[in-house]
Amino acid sequence: MTLRELVENQRFCQGLSGGQCEGLAACASERRFTAGEYLLRQHTVADTFYLVLEGEVQIKLSLPGQGTVTLETIGPDEAVGWSWFAPPYRCQFDALAVAPTRTLAFDAGLLRALMERDPAVGYAVLKALVATLSERVQSCRLQVLDVYAPPTTQR
Amino acid sequence: MSAPAEPTLPAPYRIVGRRQDSADVFTWTVEPLGEHAPTFLPGQFNMLYAYGIGEVPVSISSAAAGEPLLHTIRAVGSVTRPMAALPVGTVIGLRGPYGTAWPLADAEGGDLVIVAGGLGLAPLRPAILGALARRAQFGRLCVLYGTRGPADVLFADQLAVWRARGNVELRVTVDRATPDWTGEVGVVTRLIARAGFDPARTTAFVCGPEIMMRFAGEALLRRGVPAPRIHLSLERNMKCAVGYCGHCQLGPHFICRDGPVLAWPRLAGLLDVAEL
Repeated sequence: MTLRELVENQRFCQGLSGGQCEGLAACASERRFTAGEYLLRQHTVADTFYLVLEGEVQIKLSLPGQGTVTLETIGPDEAVGWSWFAPPYRCQFDALAVAPTRTLAFDAGLLRALMERDPAVGYAVLKALVATLSERVQSCRLQVLDVYAPPTTQR
Repeated sequence: MSAPAEPTLPAPYRIVGRRQDSADVFTWTVEPLGEHAPTFLPGQFNMLYAYGIGEVPVSISSAAAGEPLLHTIRAVGSVTRPMAALPVGTVIGLRGPYGTAWPLADAEGGDLVIVAGGLGLAPLRPAILGALARRAQFGRLCVLYGTRGPADVLFADQLAVWRARGNVELRVTVDRATPDWTGEVGVVTRLIARAGFDPARTTAFVCGPEIMMRFAGEALLRRGVPAPRIHLSLERNMKCAVGYCGHCQLGPHFICRDGPVLAWPRLAGLLDVAEL
């Protein structure tokens, strides 16, 4: 399968035209990670945006004195990383492959340049990114709600 | 338990087994003292009466056939906390079964997706066991289970058995992971997009906290599962369990009689109301 076909098959890219996917594919390469390898490290430059093709990635955060906490699991057809999109372009979390993981890795510099150069592509990618962010924020809110906590009104 | 002649009269049952499932959840095995024959449908509930303490509705968590009668209870209130302290051998009152069942037969021929949150796995367990007993009648079988943390995972031994079968896609996720947890992390609704099923030919059974069911239902709809094929099991303040008293009313429904299992279209708008 070509890079363009891989891009086109991603849920993230559903709203993009064939030409726009072609543009994105020009910023992408296929990258593989073994279990235990990091896709992103917190505090480092956010220079890559990933779409997971296969495998499993954990979003993690190191808490001083408390070790590392896993916040979320990311699976196939899902995006990893959005710090690449807005300054200061620094990763806020770790992204760790916990299984052999195959990704589409987008060069953030190239992708940002493409989005600036072609606002239609920029808007299409931004819409997909906002949809992803919306889903993550909603999930995060549900996590914060602690819906499985003991209810106070039951017999 | 075929429907008793007097629907509000408890029959005496003895607690013959007790298992602690998590810090605040336990499962009773109960047996009738008389001829109150235990037959029920997956998804139905019984009213359990601890003499001198009070009565609560509890879903049946055992298989519809081939297992003793099980009730999985969370020690959370003025009745269930004292219940947790009752020793094996205690006689309790039981009446039921009541309510609607998971439409397992209607799901045959297609994929079946079970979405459970927290204690919601208990009333779904009979449906899962029922589907496994007739596995060939279903397409893909996905069990998506989310709970608070690793220590709250219910029926861990059973989950391991289901996973080992190989013909069930079992995904377990926790909202809050501990360092030793190697499974998935995040809300259960996120698993719906990841599970391998064909939405157009899928039936979904959902049980858990109401807000979780609302978001799970919406995620199933987004994935393309037809609304009439999404079934939720609701919990309300059941008292009489036979549709007399109205304590469990939700909009036009008495949950004890019209539910607890209801299809999504019958709940349209009701899950968004702050106080109902």
